[in-house]
Amino acid sequence: MWFFRSPSIVYGEDSISFFNELPQRRLVIVTDGNIIRAGLLQKIKNELPSDSEILIIDDVPIEPTISYVLSLKGRIIDFNPDLIIGLGGGSCMDCAKVVFVTYERPDIDLHDITPLVNLDLRKKARLILIPTTSGTGSECSWAAVISDDDHGRKNEFASPEIIADFAIIDPAMVSSLPEPVRKSTAVDALAHAIEARSSTWKNSYSDIFSDKAVELISGNLFDAISHPENMEAVSNVHMGASMAGLAFSNSQITLAHSLGHSLGAHFKIPHGISVGIFLPHVIRFNYAESKGEYVALNKKFPPNLRKRYLYLTVENFLKVLSMPVKISDLNIKKDEYEKKMDSMVSVALESTGTVLNPRDAGRAELEMFLREIE
Amino acid sequence: MYKFPSEEWAKAYYEKLNANSDYRDSARDWEGDITLVINADQGLERDAYLYLDLYHGTCRRYIFTTDPEHIPKSEFTYSGKFGNWKKLINSEVDPIKGILTGKFKMKGSMSKIMRYTKAAKLMVNTASLVPSVF
Ligand SMILES: [Fe+2]
Repeated sequence: MWFFRSPSIVYGEDSISFFNELPQRRLVIVTDGNIIRAGLLQKIKNELPSDSEILIIDDVPIEPTISYVLSLKGRIIDFNPDLIIGLGGGSCMDCAKVVFVTYERPDIDLHDITPLVNLDLRKKARLILIPTTSGTGSECSWAAVISDDDHGRKNEFASPEIIADFAIIDPAMVSSLPEPVRKSTAVDALAHAIEARSSTWKNSYSDIFSDKAVELISGNLFDAISHPENMEAVSNVHMGASMAGLAFSNSQITLAHSLGHSLGAHFKIPHGISVGIFLPHVIRFNYAESKGEYVALNKKFPPNLRKRYLYLTVENFLKVLSMPVKISDLNIKKDEYEKKMDSMVSVALESTGTVLNPRDAGRAELEMFLREIE
Repeated sequence: MYKFPSEEWAKAYYEKLNANSDYRDSARDWEGDITLVINADQGLERDAYLYLDLYHGTCRRYIFTTDPEHIPKSEFTYSGKFGNWKKLINSEVDPIKGILTGKFKMKGSMSKIMRYTKAAKLMVNTASLVPSVF
């Protein structure tokens, strides 16, 4: 027995017009200053029924903390919304998921957001997520990452009840993404698809989303970068990223994410870059265990990018994107890196991605990966 | 072969766990005791309890009993029906999926246990290494 979980998905050009017919009228929009400056909030507002009352939370930090989320609770309860909208990258969407819980269940401790606790949500409101990057897949997932107040630990809160009611995959929300963000978030999405395909929890449902995600991302990303006005290419990458989100949310991520989270937390590196740097190494390490999956995925890359083996293809893909491959490309000093080695191994070991990797990896193997990029 | 659940099985498991260096490595910071509860069903007459005092990668002490009065209050409990334990030991059920599908129940701080999923997996793998009859 197992499940396939997904929000209802509204996709393609003009999908934000979905808001024209919204039955709700009291809306909270959880977003950040960059999204507002990029004019994306206004685009959503233009689509809302004219008699909507809106409370805008406009200051979600890059790494939202538990006390930040809790600080919003009173205002939101006072406002009494019937819809919560998360608009932004992973931080805004994750924050909206947890805000949704604190509003529905003010009595609950955030650490009780686990699949083992029946939260009994949706007594007051619904949740809609609108991604403004093509990468995190948070709009499709049942997890939310919220940091401890001292940023020492990132808590992964997870519950099937925090899956959005609707995910809106509109390319207009990502048409003006800065190029480095488009690249690094797409690499993150590619890693979601590849890792979901080889996790020990992989299944027939997650497999089909992995395969299509790799096809859409690898086949359209370069067009989307060089011609961001090509809405078909932008939309395909955006859909691919959401499919990768569905894939890993219904399977799991593996070692490249365990290592990437750890490296990223120790040296403040954008998620897509820190995960991408390990991806070819992890594929090579897992090759014997996941050969069938990797061969299938390799065929999904366009012929001009494809190499004989998936790890070579991914290496090539990252090279064409000019992504970092060594710690020197990230301006990390060797002695600093060495000093943090033991701690990086420990954090990677704690990650569930390590347990669900198709090939066993303990401290020695994790250290080996960290040295391969040194 | 050791009959599951029994004092002999518990002792064999305790010894195998303490001999497992991968487990020791991945649980080296862990402090907390856990009680495994094997609930009676068609295959088992009475509930059985295996208490494990786990500390820094070793199991300091175990207690096997069918009397809940003899079990110290532990930080975590992991319980399921005998039939599901059989599947777990035979590697037919994934221990985390077992929780998510309601075959097993876990009590205790989830945020703590989620940091030690590797150790938890190795604990289950170790159970599979005990030659068991049911
Ligand atoms: Fe990711």
